[in-house]
Amino acid sequence: MSVVALLEADVLDPQLELAELTEAARGDGAIVTFVGLARPESKSGEAVDALVLDHHPTLTRQSLEDIAVACAERFDVSHVRVVHRCGTIPAGEPIVFAGAASIHRRAAFEAADYLMDRLKTEAVFWKREVGESGSAWVEPTEADLADRDRWG
Amino acid sequence: MKVLFYGRLADAIGREIEVAAPGGCSVGEVRRRVAASHGAAAAELDRSRTLIANRLVGDDQPVDEADELEFLPPVSGG
Repeated sequence: MSVVALLEADVLDPQLELAELTEAARGDGAIVTFVGLARPESKSGEAVDALVLDHHPTLTRQSLEDIAVACAERFDVSHVRVVHRCGTIPAGEPIVFAGAASIHRRAAFEAADYLMDRLKTEAVFWKREVGESGSAWVEPTEADLADRDRWG
Repeated sequence: MKVLFYGRLADAIGREIEVAAPGGCSVGEVRRRVAASHGAAAAELDRSRTLIANRLVGDDQPVDEADELEFLPPVSGG
């Protein structure tokens, strides 16, 4: 069993993260991963050049770790890997990698789903979209909160 | 004392300011002082959590000059 939770200020390479998880998952039967990308458009349809994620020097990484550990305890998974960017992320670039490995596929699917629902609402970030029309702070939507609440 | 801000509050006020915290001063008093000097941020200050040394503290918590008080607005998530 391994639980990895990383905060990356510069680069997030999903291929590398998958390679690490695959290496850890020898003997397992399934890996499910999710990669979140910075969208080039806001919910209201305005062009977004970049996302800027402000973070706390200790609580942000701790929140990633807490979510990853809770996931590992809740599902029948062997490995959980969460890597999240902070700072400025140009549109189109990866912002988060969430992956889980397990003996059978169902647990890994559910674990990845759970990771993302909690990360989207509870990870300690303050996020703004920056574009030609200026800068707008973003908060979790009702749909994000409802997704998170599915897990009780 | 040193007071730190994140998210919208860092935008409106700056990452860090010094606020006078005379003996017997509470977190709530610091919150009121910052709101008085940064009126545009008052509503966001009201809905922010306060931490000292990474622990949540309430408005009744006494502070002294050596403390670092942090104001965390509701998080955006990742």
